[in-house]
Amino acid sequence: MRTEQLRGATALTAVMAILAMPVWAQDGPIKIGASLPLTGNFSVSGTKHQQGYELCIRQINERGGVLGRQLELIVSDNRSDPATAINQYERFINVDGVEAVYGTFSSRLSFPVASILAKNGFVHPLPAGGALRIYTQGHKNIFYFQPNAAEYVGASLADVLENLVPADGAPKTAAIISADDFFANGVWAGLLGEKVMDPADGSEVADLAPGYLAERGIEVVFSERWPEEGFNDWLNLANQVKQADADLIIGLTASAEEAVQLTRAFKTVQATAEMVYLSQGTQTEFLEGTSESSNGILVHTSWHKDAPFESVLGGEPYSNADFVATYEAAYGVVPDEDAAIPFAVCQGIEQAMIGAGTTDNPAMGDWLHARTKEDPVRTILGRFNWDDIGLPADKPFLMTQWNDGELQFVYPTDEFEGVSPMSYPKGSF
Amino acid sequence: MEQIIQTLILGIALGGVFALMGSGLSLVFGVMRIVNLAHPSLIIAGAYVTYWGFRLWGIDPLVMLPVAAVVLAGIGVLLYKLVFEREARSAKYSEMTVLLTFATAMIVEGALGFMFTNTQRVTSPGYATDAIFIGNVFIPMGQLYAGIVSLVIIGALAAFLKYSRFGNAIRATTQNRDAAELLGVNVNLVGIMSFAIGIGLAGAAGALVSFVFSFFPAKHWEWVAVLMSLVVLGGMGSILGTVLASFLLSIIAAFVGVWFGSTWSTMTFFLALFLILLVRPQGLFGEKPELA
Repeated sequence: MRTEQLRGATALTAVMAILAMPVWAQDGPIKIGASLPLTGNFSVSGTKHQQGYELCIRQINERGGVLGRQLELIVSDNRSDPATAINQYERFINVDGVEAVYGTFSSRLSFPVASILAKNGFVHPLPAGGALRIYTQGHKNIFYFQPNAAEYVGASLADVLENLVPADGAPKTAAIISADDFFANGVWAGLLGEKVMDPADGSEVADLAPGYLAERGIEVVFSERWPEEGFNDWLNLANQVKQADADLIIGLTASAEEAVQLTRAFKTVQATAEMVYLSQGTQTEFLEGTSESSNGILVHTSWHKDAPFESVLGGEPYSNADFVATYEAAYGVVPDEDAAIPFAVCQGIEQAMIGAGTTDNPAMGDWLHARTKEDPVRTILGRFNWDDIGLPADKPFLMTQWNDGELQFVYPTDEFEGVSPMSYPKGSF
Repeated sequence: MEQIIQTLILGIALGGVFALMGSGLSLVFGVMRIVNLAHPSLIIAGAYVTYWGFRLWGIDPLVMLPVAAVVLAGIGVLLYKLVFEREARSAKYSEMTVLLTFATAMIVEGALGFMFTNTQRVTSPGYATDAIFIGNVFIPMGQLYAGIVSLVIIGALAAFLKYSRFGNAIRATTQNRDAAELLGVNVNLVGIMSFAIGIGLAGAAGALVSFVFSFFPAKHWEWVAVLMSLVVLGGMGSILGTVLASFLLSIIAAFVGVWFGSTWSTMTFFLALFLILLVRPQGLFGEKPELA
């Protein structure tokens, strides 16, 4: 009898211990996992993403944390390798026991990671991963923290052409060159009006015809892609663009490094154009590598240091200017969008936890899906609410232009004060 | 015709830079049988030495070149003593060095990232983006300077190897390590010095790379296969072969880029690597491999 009592007491204790476990777990910090490309081809952006995440977490913790608990960020280096990124998210969830995750950098890494996070029912906030194919897989847990998919980036360029360029001097011809990269290919498809296909089953995701350039009556006189890795022959490529003698040069660079190489090559071959647009190049490193050649170059961006966005952090008002000042104090340099976007991701997840009142991912996902234009997530990138597939609703990219060593935002002109006039034409590099 | 001349010039210009990048790799393999996968990462280290000289004190990259070469040569001596010397007589030495140099490359990349962050860098002396125009044909000044300096350094190295006593010792060791030792050559010292010279050449190449390409710690992975293709085509261990291969492949790649597209331009180096290994594994000037 005594043995049975002992067994019963032991079993009861064990059951109570198991029942109490979630309570113990919730007393500790909220673990959040982020697999980032800290080495390899995407290391420049990956490192800044880490800084953006860490700065945000630090400030949330200084304000008392979320739901009464501190946040703990677990970062792993995926070496810019998709397979490693997948493994690391699996490990975060199944071994480290994270309660939430932050997305990685680039469409190439985000595309395979999306399936893993959907399978595990985790909210997938993407700082970078604009390829439309990521959002058409049927996943309901994705939330993109940039204005729109890569395929629709060209809309901003088309708007600039329509609204800021005098009709009698508008470009009539274009040379378009692009990295053979997930993101850049998406922008290319939108500009040239191509069909976007699902790589899994070959089905059509979207038909983008006639394309933003054709809509503006611009004829493409030269188009070329360069390989994603190992390309060195920039002068040859720039010279071919020069020979095409196009009014508009479009360089769909996948990284700031490529934007530097391309711009320097244009200067060497003495290319000229009425307008030059690059898909990367808002970073300070771009200015350092190109100096006065950068003058007049247009680059789209999700964020600008002078944009007067008001947001929330740690339950308190937090402006974009606060972010710039804190980042400068922490890292000694002015931030760029590669640090600002992940910061916004962190803000979004914080607001989802508070809004849902829990770290339960389905509940956070429901809360994010329920955001509206009137009741959005408020970040240093502005307001976010999403459509059914996870793309932000009605949110334009900012179009910026380098002038005299300063990245000025020139479009849209009616969003807020501080918009600079666009310099046109560009002329030489 | 104009386009052909222009493409030829751009191919030669790129080849000049690659020639120096590949020469150190070839020398180290020739003397020590080390397939140095860390060579491109050490080129990046040389580029950083140059960058900081330029950034902090405004010293021209070409003036910083000897500094970068000496600093990297010193690192080369350290690396050799710490990593490679112990196993120099192992029967599996060459195979082991592939793994050791791979690990070294990762360590160098990590160290550079830790010290200088993963931010991309480039030096911008005035000539880096200038060009001389003759009609519509242009010669890029940055590549021209880099190519000339490259050839001068390689010429000096060739003269050193051919005419100096120590150079003869290096060549003798390259041809037959055991025979050289029997004849009184201090093969260990030759090994250390050759490795130091090879890595010093990486430092010098880094100085040129700093204004021709932008760079960051992980950039070296993009160059491993390209440099290997140059060294294999030239013949493992043949500096002359590496130089000729650099010009040959760069010129072919430039024409491929114009005629078939930029994607194929990069593929040229990898296709060449496969073809050479299939058709003529010893390369242009290498020794025919002996059958076991």
